[in-house]
Amino acid sequence: MGEQSIELPQGTLDLLILRTLALEPLHGWAVSERIQQISSDVLRVQQGSLYPALHRLERRGWIKARWGTSENNRQAKFYELTRSGRQQLEIQRTAWEKLTAAVGRVLETT
Amino acid sequence: MFRDALHDAWFRLRSLFSPRLQKARHEEELRFHLEQQVAKYINSGMSREEATRRARVQFGSLDAIEEECWNARGVSLLESFLQDVHYAVRTLLKTPGFTACAVLTLALGIGANTAIFTVVNSVLLNPLPYPNPQELLTARQNDSLLNIQDTLNQNRTFASGGGINVLTMDFTGGPEPVQIHGGYVNAGFLQTLGVAPMMGRLIAAAEDVKGGPRNVVVSYGFWKNFLHGDPQVLGKSIPLSGNSYTVIGVMPRDFTVPRERADVFVSLWVAYPEGAAYRGVHFMDVYWRLRPEVTLSQAQADMGEIDQRLAERYPDNERGRHTTLLPLHEALAGKVRTALWVLFGAVALVLLIACVNFAMLLIARAASRQREIMTRAALGAGVGRLVRQRLTESTVLALAGGGVGLLFAWTGTKVLLALKPVALQDFSAIHMDSAVFLFVFGISLLTGIAFGLLPAWSAARANVADALREGTKMSGAGVRRSRLRNALVASEFALALVLLVGAGLLIKGFWRLRSVDPGFAPANLMTFYIALSATNYEDTPKQTAFRRELLARLNAVSGMRAAMISDVPFGGGYLTHNLAIDGRLSPAIGAEPEVQSLSVMGDYFRTMQIPLRAGRELTEMDREGQPLVAVVNQQFARQFFPDGDVLGARIDWARRQGPHKWMTIVGVVADVKHSRLNLPVDPAIYAPYAQSDEAWRRWMTLVVRTEQPSSQTVELVKKLVWSLDSQIPVSDVQSMDDLMALSLAQERFNLILLATFAGLALLLAAVGIYGMMTYRVSQRTHEIGVYVALGAQPADVLRMIMRDGAVLAATGIGAGIAGSVLVTRLMTSLLFEVTPTDPAVFSAVVVVLSFVALVACYIPARRALSLPPTVALRCE
Repeated sequence: MGEQSIELPQGTLDLLILRTLALEPLHGWAVSERIQQISSDVLRVQQGSLYPALHRLERRGWIKARWGTSENNRQAKFYELTRSGRQQLEIQRTAWEKLTAAVGRVLETT
Repeated sequence: MFRDALHDAWFRLRSLFSPRLQKARHEEELRFHLEQQVAKYINSGMSREEATRRARVQFGSLDAIEEECWNARGVSLLESFLQDVHYAVRTLLKTPGFTACAVLTLALGIGANTAIFTVVNSVLLNPLPYPNPQELLTARQNDSLLNIQDTLNQNRTFASGGGINVLTMDFTGGPEPVQIHGGYVNAGFLQTLGVAPMMGRLIAAAEDVKGGPRNVVVSYGFWKNFLHGDPQVLGKSIPLSGNSYTVIGVMPRDFTVPRERADVFVSLWVAYPEGAAYRGVHFMDVYWRLRPEVTLSQAQADMGEIDQRLAERYPDNERGRHTTLLPLHEALAGKVRTALWVLFGAVALVLLIACVNFAMLLIARAASRQREIMTRAALGAGVGRLVRQRLTESTVLALAGGGVGLLFAWTGTKVLLALKPVALQDFSAIHMDSAVFLFVFGISLLTGIAFGLLPAWSAARANVADALREGTKMSGAGVRRSRLRNALVASEFALALVLLVGAGLLIKGFWRLRSVDPGFAPANLMTFYIALSATNYEDTPKQTAFRRELLARLNAVSGMRAAMISDVPFGGGYLTHNLAIDGRLSPAIGAEPEVQSLSVMGDYFRTMQIPLRAGRELTEMDREGQPLVAVVNQQFARQFFPDGDVLGARIDWARRQGPHKWMTIVGVVADVKHSRLNLPVDPAIYAPYAQSDEAWRRWMTLVVRTEQPSSQTVELVKKLVWSLDSQIPVSDVQSMDDLMALSLAQERFNLILLATFAGLALLLAAVGIYGMMTYRVSQRTHEIGVYVALGAQPADVLRMIMRDGAVLAATGIGAGIAGSVLVTRLMTSLLFEVTPTDPAVFSAVVVVLSFVALVACYIPARRALSLPPTVALRCE
């Protein structure tokens, strides 16, 4: 299983987290599960980088944390996107699309 | 953007201030994650154990993640500072001995400094307690009221001016008659000082005339103690010296008169019109308030012109008149300025020594923790962080020292003021204020950083690899550090020497002063000041009757011998008169010699044990109706009769209206110091009270020699005085020993303080060199073991170690001598008959310091030698 996964390029984790949270508030485990699911198990987020990233985003004011009850009735910390987080998501998404398009063009022209 | 930054900062802070809660939350979050993962694996069919193990492996180190999160939350900068503080406090508490040493060392230095700074701050730096004090001037010379009035009328530079003369007054409105201090003033005096009364009003200019209303302004203390704080006191009458005065004002509690103590204020023109009208008797202290925008030199020039006009107009009294103006603050603080700065310098040296000790303690500590620190450096701690940590530690120590020092200072200031230096009594409000607090905080912080930086820096420069190897002792850093330590120890000795020399000079001067012969035997003498009221004792016969009867009753008591004199030695000022000698040309008016004029009754010279040098003493037969006689002192004989023909010469006061009343000199007595032991003796004339034609000399001081305890004597004397007249206050009851001690109070104050500081310095320096030698010897124990094992004699080893210490001590002492020679010149004005480079003091101090150094080296050396070589060799 481990061999299928791809190392995340630097800086993309933030984008993925923001994107995942754009749909609904989630707790940390669900964020990593959701990323894994949507990417069909290709992208795996290490806990060692997930939580520092969440705290960093929270510090920047892009996401907000709040304690709530999980689906199995446990206290869990839920993260949701803030207004500036939504703006940030758009900015990063545009940048990412520009980047991938450009990289793609470069790769195709041979 | 700004909002983002704000959010960022707020977030960091929040994380910082509730770390425990935050930590718990993180753990909770991560645990939740782990459980979810485990649940997922179990759902996919794993056993619980397998699921848990997998999840854990995947998860990695919880602590590491937490640490990462912590950093991500951005608290590391602030937090590492707090961590440093926390770490510092923890490690310091682990070594209580070292911590106590360091804190106490600094606390002593800082405490002594703060106490002295408190006084310096209040006396030299703070303004006087009057409005716009920078406008206030005083004159170096006293003046008469007529001259003050003329100056007020003629000047162009003063807004106001006034004078005061404090004389005793009797207040007979209480259960016992008491003597109080009456301020005889003009209306301008209180206005010039500018303090408004707490109640009522001041004396108005219109009332300040001959025959004006008898009004009095009282001090807060008088109002509280003698008028029972009566809020309705205005308009009431009180009996003062046989007259009734109406209270018109009460001054506020913190009001004081410069240089004097006054309980009540009355108009000189009203209360003592004879004194007010004398132009030639300059008895008032004078104060001026400058007009705005006028400088001191302008005022001085103005005063010079007025002086000249007065001198031309009244040549008899005012010839050669020259008034020197000076700022009031200068006049009050000038007396103590040198002493205070010398003391301040001394405590600064003490602080410096304390700091040096502090630095040495830190160095020794750094050396013993070298391996620990280097291990941490090798494990990746940044040099910056290590230095920062050490600095934090020393700053924490220094601030603790400052805190304890503040406590010391608080007590120290109380002790200082309890010593009651006379010169400081003008500055009633000596207290610690925010300036003092900032001062302490500042020096603590500075000490921590500066003296912590030194060892921290030298440690940081050390080579990690060197330190980790076993043979650290001779590494480059070790040598460098020991050189620094040597310099520190030597400088401690130098500083201590400077202080000890200063103290030694003061002690020698004081001892010289104490051993000055006052000219009489002060032991077992009591003195009582008595003044007769003008209303009941208006002429000399009445006064003589009272005096004669009082002495008769006192001398009838067995074991008691009593006499009286107008102005007793060490009792304060004295009267002078211009002298005329029969058969000699009288000098020009204004150029006559001045001599001390004393009146006596009873066996004064025998009572005081003043030796007779020639002729005879005054006796009971030298009374009214008999030929006028006088006894003079040796200084008088030397000055006016250098050929020795003094006995039988006739003298009188110059400028007498009418024919001279010549007194024949019948005896010469030994010189007696009158005001201070370090001042020369003035020529003096003793004449019988009974033959005096000056009825205004209504005061006298009883001198009583008795073996009885003083309390019994006091009661007895009071009873006998009141058996003659119950309205006469008996005041200023003091033993002659106390009076003389009082005259030395300032010298004693300087001495006690400087000696204390010098002792402190010696102690600190001794501890410093002792600690240092102990450390050095312990570093060389291995080496010593080798020597001994190879057959070195204990004496050789001892000599080797002692030489080490001796070189240091000698260097320090040499530097100290050079420093002292430069510095002690500044104290010349505080010394009596001692030069600032007194060789005896210098050599004594050098001997003491060398001895201390010797002992401090000998003890650790002895200890090292007593170790058996086998132990010493294994010692690392």
